[in-house]
Amino acid sequence: MNKKFAAVIISVALLMMVWVGLGFEGNELPYVTIQDLTTKETVKPGKRFRLGGNVKEGSIIRSETDPLALSFVLLQEEQQLPVSYHKIVPDMFKDGSEVIVEGIFNGERFYADNLMTKCASRYEGDLRKSDTSI
Amino acid sequence: MPTYGAALLSLSLGLCFLTVVLMGLFVRKGDERYFFVGQRTCLTVCFLVVLATITLLAGLMKSDFNVDYVAKYTSIGTPTIYKFTALWAGQSGSLLFWLFVLSCYVAVVIVQNRNRHEKLMPYVIMTLSVIQGFFLLMVNFVANPFAPVETDFILQDGLGLNPLLQNPTMAIHPPMLYLGYVGFSVPFAFAIAALCSRQLDAVWVRSIRRWTLFTWLALGIGILLGGWWAYNELGWGGYWAWDPVENASFMPWLTGTAFIHSIIIQEKKNMLRVWNMILILVTFLLCIFGTFLTRSGIVSSVHSFTQSSLGPMFFGFVLLILAVSIYLVLSRLDDLKSGKRMESFVSRESGFLFNNVVFVSICFAVLWGTMFPIISEAVTGTQITVGAPFFNQITIPIGLLLLTLSGIGPLLAWRRTSRESLTRNFSIPVLIGLVMAGVVMIAGVRSIYPVMTVALTAFVTSTISTEFWRGITVRRRKFNESSLQALFRMISKNRSRYGGYIVHIGIVFMFVGFIGKAFDKDREWAMSVGDEVRIAGYDIRLTALDEEERSNHYAWIATLDVTKKGETVTSLQPEKRIYFHKNPNPDRRQPHSELSLHSTWREDVYSVFGGIDPEKELLTIKIMVNRLVRFVWLGGYVLLFGTVIALWPDRRGL
Repeated sequence: MNKKFAAVIISVALLMMVWVGLGFEGNELPYVTIQDLTTKETVKPGKRFRLGGNVKEGSIIRSETDPLALSFVLLQEEQQLPVSYHKIVPDMFKDGSEVIVEGIFNGERFYADNLMTKCASRYEGDLRKSDTSI
Repeated sequence: MPTYGAALLSLSLGLCFLTVVLMGLFVRKGDERYFFVGQRTCLTVCFLVVLATITLLAGLMKSDFNVDYVAKYTSIGTPTIYKFTALWAGQSGSLLFWLFVLSCYVAVVIVQNRNRHEKLMPYVIMTLSVIQGFFLLMVNFVANPFAPVETDFILQDGLGLNPLLQNPTMAIHPPMLYLGYVGFSVPFAFAIAALCSRQLDAVWVRSIRRWTLFTWLALGIGILLGGWWAYNELGWGGYWAWDPVENASFMPWLTGTAFIHSIIIQEKKNMLRVWNMILILVTFLLCIFGTFLTRSGIVSSVHSFTQSSLGPMFFGFVLLILAVSIYLVLSRLDDLKSGKRMESFVSRESGFLFNNVVFVSICFAVLWGTMFPIISEAVTGTQITVGAPFFNQITIPIGLLLLTLSGIGPLLAWRRTSRESLTRNFSIPVLIGLVMAGVVMIAGVRSIYPVMTVALTAFVTSTISTEFWRGITVRRRKFNESSLQALFRMISKNRSRYGGYIVHIGIVFMFVGFIGKAFDKDREWAMSVGDEVRIAGYDIRLTALDEEERSNHYAWIATLDVTKKGETVTSLQPEKRIYFHKNPNPDRRQPHSELSLHSTWREDVYSVFGGIDPEKELLTIKIMVNRLVRFVWLGGYVLLFGTVIALWPDRRGL
C-alpha cells in the first residue's frame, strides 16, 4: 500500500509541476533594455515587454485635449525611448523618477499599459542633501 | 546614546557566542552546570537585546538626531505614535526589532520549559542562540541601528517618515508579520533538537503545536493586514498583487499551513514523521529566504527595501540552515521512519496527505514564479518576469482543489471510510453545491471559476455544518442538553477540531471574496466640477473641488456624489495631497492620493484622485467598483476567531 501511495503522490506532484510549467505560456514578460528592444528582440505585434529606466528631465508632455494622455522619454544611460501612456500616473511619477513600464513596442514608440514608479517604500534620503540642515 | 546602544549589542553578541559554546560543552560532557550557566547567559542576551531596543526607542522619542537612523526616519513633526513605529520602518531598525521579537520568544521558551524536555532543551537553546547570533552579527557589523549620523554639521530636523507609512494599519502589519516570521524559529529549533537528540516520536511535535498555531496565525493576520493596508491606502484598488515581497510571506504560510495539518497525523498515528520534519525545516528556511529575497534586491519589487550588503549574508545563512538540515535528516533517516502504513486512499490520513501535497504544490508554484526572473536570466540572459496573470492562472484551480479537500477531509474516517458512509455523508452537500452552481448560472454567471467557487463554497459550508449538527444532536440525545449548551460544550471538549472547522469557514468567506475579483469594474475620467459619469449602475457627479492647507500638507478635495437609480448612495471625498508643501526644494515635496471608498457587503465604490491641472481645474478621477471585498476581511476575522478557539488553553493545563 505504501508503494502504491507513493506512486499516487508522486504522480500528483508531477502533474502539478506540469501544470505550473504550462502556466508560463503567454504570461511571460521579458525584462529588456532599450537596446535589446531595438536590436535583439523580434517585435511581434502584441508582444509585451517590460522596461525600467528614468524619466528624462523635461520630457513629460501632457495632452492639451485629454488630461489622461501623456508621453515622456525613458532614459537608460545613453539610450532613449519615447513612451505613451493613457492612464492616471502614480504619485511619485515626475522628471527623473525611476519607473518600470509594461506594454507593446511598434518599432518607434512604446505604448505602456502599466507604469510603476520605483519609490522606496521607505525614505532612503541622503542627509547631506537635506535642506533642513543649517 | 549611540555608544550605549552599540555597547549593548556587542555585549549581547559575545554572550550569545558563549551560550552556544556552553550548550555544546554540556552536550559533550554532560555536566549540568554548563547547561544552567548557558541558560542564564541566554536569558541575559535576551534582556540586553530588549534594553538595546528600548534605547533606540528612547532615541526616536527624544528625536536624538545624532543617530543616523533617528534622523532618517523621523522628524520633529512626526506624531509620537509614528516615532514609535519608525522602529521597524528602516533596515537596521527592523533587524533590531526582529532580534527583539526573537529574544522575547527565546525567554518565554526557556522559562516555559525550565522543568521539561531536558533532552531537547540544550539543543533548542543552542539553535535559537545561533539564529540570535546571526542577527546580532548583522546589527553589529552590517547595519547598526546606532550608527552615528555622518554629517559634519548639526542636524536640526530629520527627514521624517514616509506619509504612506503613517497609517494605523502600518503600525501593526509589520510587527504581526515579524511575530510570524520569527515565531517559526521555535518549532524549527525543536525540530533540530529532536533530530540531534534522536527523540523523534510525537513529543517534540506536541510541545510546539501551540507555538506553531500562534505563529501561523500571526503570519496570516500580518499578510491580511498588509492587504488591507494596500487596499485602503495605496489606491490601486486591490489587496494582493503577487509581488515578490508578498510571495515571500505567503510561501512560509503555505508550508506552515501544511505542517499544522500533518502534525495531527503524527500526534494521533505517529506517521508522516519524515515529512513533518522536512516541512518545518522548509518553512523556517522560507522565512529566512523570504527575508533574503526582500532585502537583497535580486528580484525587483515595488516594495524595494534598501539594497545592501545584507543579501550575501542572508544567502550564506540560508545555505547554512539548508546544509545542517539536510545532514541531520539524512543521518537520522532510519530513526525517523515510522514503519506505519497507510491503509486506504479514502481515509482521514490520506486526506491530510493530499492536502499537504497541494499546499506544497502551491508553494512550489509561487516560488517558481517569484524566482523565474532570476532563473531565466541565468539560463537565457534575458530576465523574463511573470506577473499576476501567471500566478492567478496557476493558483486558482489548485486553490479550488484545496477548497474541495477542506470539505471532504473532515467527513472521512480514520484508517478507512466505507462506501455507505461516503454516500450518506456526501450526497446532501454535493447536491447543495450543484444547486448553488445552477442558481448562479441562471443568474447569468457563465465563467467557469466563479461558478465552481460558488458550488464548492456551498459544498464545504454544508459539510462543516453537518459536522457541527451531528455533534450537537449526539450530545442532545446523550446528555439531554439544549442545542446552544451542546454546541458550547462540544467545542470546549475538542477545541482544536472545531476551531479548525471555524478557520475553514473563514477560508470559505475569503474565497467568496476572491470570486468578486472576476466582476470588478474600473475606469478613469478627466472631470471638471459639474461633470457626471456612469459606472456599473452608479452615477457619479463631481459637485465640488476644495482646497485646504493643513499642518503638514496641502490638499485638494474632490466631492463626488454617488447615486444609483436617482437615489443617493454616498458622497466620496478623495484627496490629492502635497506633503511638505512648504519645502523650498520641489523634489522634497511629496504628492499623495488619499482615496475614498464606500463599502457594502455587495460591493465597494472606490475613488482615487489621480491628478489635477490647477489652471483648468480639470482633474483625473479613477472609480472602481470592487465586488465582495468585505468577505475577505470577514474571512480574516473568522480565521482569527477559529484559531483563538483552537489555541485557548485547556483547564487541564498545558
